[in-house]
Amino acid sequence: MLSVEPTQAPSEVIPLRDPHETERLGPYLRDVRRRWPYIWYNARSELRRQQVNTVFGNLWLLINPALTVAIFYLIFGLLLQVDRGVDNLLLFLAVGIFVFRATQQATTSGSKAVVNNEGLIRSIHFPRLVLPLTATLAETLATTLSFLVVFVVAVATGVAPSLTWLVLVPIVALQTVFNFGAGTIAARVTTHFRDTTQLLPFAFRLLFYGSGVIFNVTAYAEGRRWIEILFALNPMYCFISMARWTMLGGSDVTPLVIASSIIWSIALAVGGFFWFRAGEANYARS
Amino acid sequence: MPVPENEAESPSTAVLVNNLEVEYRVYHDRVRDERSGLAGRLRSKHIEIVQALRGVSFSVNSGEAVGIVGSNGSGKSTLLRAIAGVQAKSAGSVRVRGEARLLSVGATLKPQLSGYRNVKLGALAMGLTTEEIEEGLDGLVEFSGLGDAMARPLKTYSQGMKARLLFSIATLHIPNILLIDEALAVGDRQFKRRSLERIRNIRAEAGTVLMVTHNMSEIRNTCTRAVWMDGGQIVADGDVEDVLARYDAASE
Repeated sequence: MLSVEPTQAPSEVIPLRDPHETERLGPYLRDVRRRWPYIWYNARSELRRQQVNTVFGNLWLLINPALTVAIFYLIFGLLLQVDRGVDNLLLFLAVGIFVFRATQQATTSGSKAVVNNEGLIRSIHFPRLVLPLTATLAETLATTLSFLVVFVVAVATGVAPSLTWLVLVPIVALQTVFNFGAGTIAARVTTHFRDTTQLLPFAFRLLFYGSGVIFNVTAYAEGRRWIEILFALNPMYCFISMARWTMLGGSDVTPLVIASSIIWSIALAVGGFFWFRAGEANYARS
Repeated sequence: MPVPENEAESPSTAVLVNNLEVEYRVYHDRVRDERSGLAGRLRSKHIEIVQALRGVSFSVNSGEAVGIVGSNGSGKSTLLRAIAGVQAKSAGSVRVRGEARLLSVGATLKPQLSGYRNVKLGALAMGLTTEEIEEGLDGLVEFSGLGDAMARPLKTYSQGMKARLLFSIATLHIPNILLIDEALAVGDRQFKRRSLERIRNIRAEAGTVLMVTHNMSEIRNTCTRAVWMDGGQIVADGDVEDVLARYDAASE
C-alpha cells in the first residue's frame, strides 16, 4: 500500500460544490455585484452594437422618439384635436410617449435577455440575473439620453426650466425599479413561452391607450371618481402623470397615484427578482 | 457503475460525477409530414426527448488531464457542459472543486464588436476584475498572435482566429478546471503547439484539464488518462493507450 501523505491545511482546500445548485441569497447577490463591471460594460456595448451600421448612429436614440412624438402631434393634435384640458399638447405628448417607451423598451429587451443569450448561457457560468439587469440598464441609459428631446420641446414651447424638473430624478429612478421587475418577469416568461415576444407589442399597444399617453384622463373622466381610480391602478398612468406634473403642473397626481407607483415598483422588482432566480437552474435546458 | 459518493471523495478530487443524466427537449418538424396540408403542418410540431447522457459516473483528480473520445453525438460535449454547470441535468450529481471553465468553439461572442471588446466582455462575464484583465491583456495579444486584428470586428475573423481568441480569453486567468471542447481543432499548427503547452502548464500548477477531441495524437501528447464515450455512457476509462486502442478497434 502507498502511504497517504498528510493532507494540506483544510482552510486551503476549496470545497466541492454543485455547479447546478443556485447559490443562497447572500452569495448570489455578491456574485451579481461582482459582475457589475460586466453589466455596465455590456450595456454600453449593446447601445453601440445596435446602431453601429446606421448613418446617424446613437442619434437614433433621439430621432426615433422625436419622430413618434411628431406623428402623434400631427394626428391627435392637429387633425383630431383631442387636446381637451391640455394647454401644451406637444410637451404633454412628448412626456407621455417618452415615459411610456422607457418601460416598453425595457420590458421588450428584458423578454429577449435570456432567450437571445443562449450561447453565452451555455458557455459561461454566471448568475443569470445579470442578463435582464444588463437589458434594463442599457434601456435606462438610452431613455435617459433621449429625455433631452423632452427638455428641448419644453423650452421650445415656452416652458421655463424650473427646480421642480429635478423631481424627475426620483420618478425615473422609481420607474427603473419598475422596469427591472417587468424585464426580469418577461425574461423568464419568454423561456417558458417563446411567443411572448410576438404578443408583447400588442399588450403594450393596449396599455398605451389605457395609460392616457395621448389624452388627459382627468378632463375626459369629467369628475367620475371611479375612472380616475381605475387609471391610478395602472402604474404606467402613474409614472406619466407624475412626470407631466414636474413640467406642466396640474392636479392629476393624487396620493393614490404616488402610492400606486411605489407599490407596483417594489412588488414587481422583488417578485421579479425571486421568481427569476427560482428558475435559474433551468435556463440552460433545451 | 455508480460510485458511492462518500467513498470516491478525497481532498484531491477535482471533479466528481455520479449517475449523471441529461436530456434535451428538441422541438422539430416531423419530416414525413412535410407533404401534407395545413392540418398536417399544424400537427407536425413535435417535441422529442433526447437522452444525451444516461448515467455517467467518474471522478478526476487535480493535476490530471483527461482526453474524451467517442463518435459524434455520444455525449462528450454535453458532459463537459454539465460539469461547467451550463447544461441543466435531469438526474444524478456533479460536483467540482473551484471554478470549471468551458472552452468551446460554439461560444458566442459579439460579431459586430472588436476583438478587444470581446475579450473584455468575455473576461468580465467570467467574473474577472478590470485590473486582472488589464494585467493579462498584453500577454493575451501576444499569445493569440492576432496583432492588429484585435481592433477589427469579430465578423471579419476566420474560424481559426476565433478559436485563438476564445482560447486566449479562457486562459487569461488560469481556472482550477479547464474543459476544452474541440476548441483546438480549427487552429493552425503553431496555435495548437502553444495551446498544448499552456495546457501542460495548467496541469503543472495542479489544474485539471478535460478535453474532447478527435485528434488522437493530441490526447497521447497531453493526457494522462482517456475516456471513451458512446451512446451517452462511458465505455472505457483508464490508460490512454489501452482506451485509444479499444476505441480504434471499435471504430474500424
